Parts: sequence; C-alpha cells; structure tokens
Amino acid sequence: MKTHDWAALLLPTIALVSPVYATDYLSVPQAQRQLFPEAQVFLDAPLSLTSEQRDRIKSLSGLRQRWDEQKIWRAEKEGKLQGWFIVDDVIGKHEFITYAAAISPEGRVLGIEILSYRETHGGQIREPGWRKHFMGKTLADPFKLDEDVPNISGATLSCRNVLDGVKRLLALHKLFLVNG
Amino acid sequence: MDELRRMRPLLGTYVEVSARGPTAATGPAVAAAFHRIEEAQRLWSFHAPDSDLSRLNGARGKAVTLHPQTLRLLRLARALTAASGSRFNCTLGGALVRRGALPDHDHGAMLDRGTAEDIEIESDRARLRRPVRLTLDGLAKGYAVDLAVRALRKTGMVAGWVNAGGDLRVFGDVVLPVHRREIDGRMTSLGGLRDAALASSLVRRRSDTDDPSFPALIVGTDNVSPAAGVWTVLARSAWRADALTKVASIAAPQHRASLVARLGGHLIESKTE
Repeated sequence: MKTHDWAALLLPTIALVSPVYATDYLSVPQAQRQLFPEAQVFLDAPLSLTSEQRDRIKSLSGLRQRWDEQKIWRAEKEGKLQGWFIVDDVIGKHEFITYAAAISPEGRVLGIEILSYRETHGGQIREPGWRKHFMGKTLADPFKLDEDVPNISGATLSCRNVLDGVKRLLALHKLFLVNG
Repeated sequence: MDELRRMRPLLGTYVEVSARGPTAATGPAVAAAFHRIEEAQRLWSFHAPDSDLSRLNGARGKAVTLHPQTLRLLRLARALTAASGSRFNCTLGGALVRRGALPDHDHGAMLDRGTAEDIEIESDRARLRRPVRLTLDGLAKGYAVDLAVRALRKTGMVAGWVNAGGDLRVFGDVVLPVHRREIDGRMTSLGGLRDAALASSLVRRRSDTDDPSFPALIVGTDNVSPAAGVWTVLARSAWRADALTKVASIAAPQHRASLVARLGGHLIESKTE
C-alpha cells in the first residue's frame, strides 16, 4: 500500500481555540428564495399563540412550543399559496441554531435550511481576550481561506433538535395554518 | 469565482457543504452534493424499513437487487471487516438491535454478529448467508461525504469541503483549520487539513453519563471493549477515515497506530488524561 506523507495533509496552524463556533449561511430573504424558488411574494403572517394553543401543539406533536410568537410567511405566486416558510430556533445543550422549514399547503416538508449555526462547548474560556478571536462568519465577510472558521471533528452531534422542531412545526401547521 | 456554504440536517447530524468555483455553478454544485447525501440516507439508513440496507437485512437469505452504490459500499465494508480481523465489523447490527440502539424490524432469526463471509455480493445483487443484520453506520457517513465531494468536483468546483458531523473531507486549493472536541468538551486544534479526509469517534469513559446529543455507539469484539477517548483518523477518503476510527477504538493500544496505518489511515492519538 502506498504510504502517504501525512504531514503534507494535516499542516500545523496557529491554534486559535475560540469557545464559540459560529457561521451564518442564509438571511431570511435568501432562505425564502432558496426554499420557494417559484414564489413571487412572501407575506408576513406571524402567529401569536395563547398558552392553550401551545398546549395543543404539545399534545399533537409531543414537543413543547416554547415561543409565543412564531415567525411565519406565506409564499405566494399569482395570488396562490405555494406553502409556508417558517423560521424557528433550536436551543440545545451544545448548539444554538436558527433554521427555516418550507411546508406545503397540505403539510409536507419541502425543505429545511440552516440559517445560522452556533456551537458552544463546556470547558473554560481560555483567554481573557477571547472575544477578539470569535471566529464568526457573517454574510458580509468575504471568505478568506487562511482565517476560515475552523471545522469541528469529534463525536457526532445529533440533529434531533432540528428534526423535532420540524415535527412540532408540522403540528402547528395542522392546527393553525391549514385553513389560512 | 465565488464561494458558497450551506448546512442541512441529514444523516442524523448537521452536514455542511462548502464550494468554490464559477459563480453560476456554485448553487447547483451545492444542491448536487446535498442530493447525493439525501440519496445515501435513503439507501443506507438502518431505521428506514424500505432502505436498500433494510431490504437486504429482511430478505431472509434471498438475493436482493441493490443500487450500484450500495453494492460498492458493501464491497468496501466486507473487505474492511475481513482485513481488520472484524475489529471493523459491519455485521453486528444484531448486537445493536438487542441493546436497543437500533430498531428491530422483526425480520426473524437474528445473530448478534457475523463475519465477512456472511456477505455474498454479485454484480447487481447481494444476499446474507446467515441471519446477521448489516449496519453500514460505521462507514456510510464517510462514504456519503466522498460522494458529495465527487459531485462538487463534477460540477466544476475547484475547492471545498463536506463535513458530516465531524466526518470531513477537503479538496482543492484550501487549507481548512480543524478542531477536535475532546472527551471533556474542550476543543483542541488538529491543524489545517488539505486534500484529505478526517473522522473522529468518541468512546465515553465508563464513569461518564450518556449525553443524548451524541448518540453514537461503538461495540467491541467478544473480548475487547472500545477504549475511552476521542479517536481521530486521517485518510485520503472519508469512508476509510470513518471506518478506521472504529478500528482505532477497538485495537490493543500497542498495535493501534500500526493497524490503522496498515489499513490505509493515519491515527491522531487521543488526548485523554
């Protein structure tokens, strides 16, 4: 078997270990266009939920509806409903994620896109000036390869929280959006 | 030239695709990469009752026609099971089902584990010689990453990476800094990855409580439990890096690095106390 020069494939770098890993992928308008490419207009249609309505979502989905307000848009083309674009947040033990789900009028998931991803870790913040090493990437930043946001390897973080979120949004749709 | 980066929940984790290439092509390239990953999920999910994998596991010894990529993946899984002395073992689905770590699709008699000889592969079909349950979780995520990278290249991307929950492959003119999440949650820098793949597996100390955010499980051979630590392997392909992390966690300490090297990878030692 050919031996590789492994040292050429994993190069030493300056170890900037930041406590928070952050990337922004899409703004809300970008995600809307991505998930509903045929839609001509997105109408703001946020939902305010009473505690009784939140309980009904919990009964149907098994999952707690944390927010009183859910950010929702109607995706329309020529006045016809193409589907629902919903923005939701996940606050996990290790991760804070904003994502968007596209749901068809009948309640089918058309797509899921992560808008922003933040991962934290336990353990001490090492440097007093850690904020300046915050390696977040916003959409305004050009991608500079040498300073790219480090990728993480390790135990595989489950995406269960987002999938549960989508399941909860499907219940919300069934209860409160279907006849909208 | 433009760079595009997107992330979606797939393969049970968060999958990030990054691509650099001609501006008009980056959107379709990233879409093609995710398409391959969705296909991998459909074909090789142990949970899905109608995946290629479940159809093979449920066929009670009969030959099943399978997708060409499934056959390729089975060949790799079988070969590595044999070459690693079953330290990597794709036939231990039964043990995981009995443990409750994987669902029971009620396909009848079930052996805890088998060997490479239990898998018979022809040009367009495969069958199981004994009632073992295959699980491809040990290398399917890495293989999906390889397929996604291939899709990016085919659509004209000159550089980029695909990271499926820590199974990572980088290609082209980019050096990607990689950090590893250690067993105590801290991050350490591994270096800058270029034109290669990297994967890590966590094996918890007995004293640590399970964290449901990290649900993966490695099962040892009859006499050996996996050693606690975070095992990282560097390889040219993501499927190999992925699979060899399991070998690393099960191998005896004195043979670990050389065994991983013999199987085509490079071990990055665990940082445990």
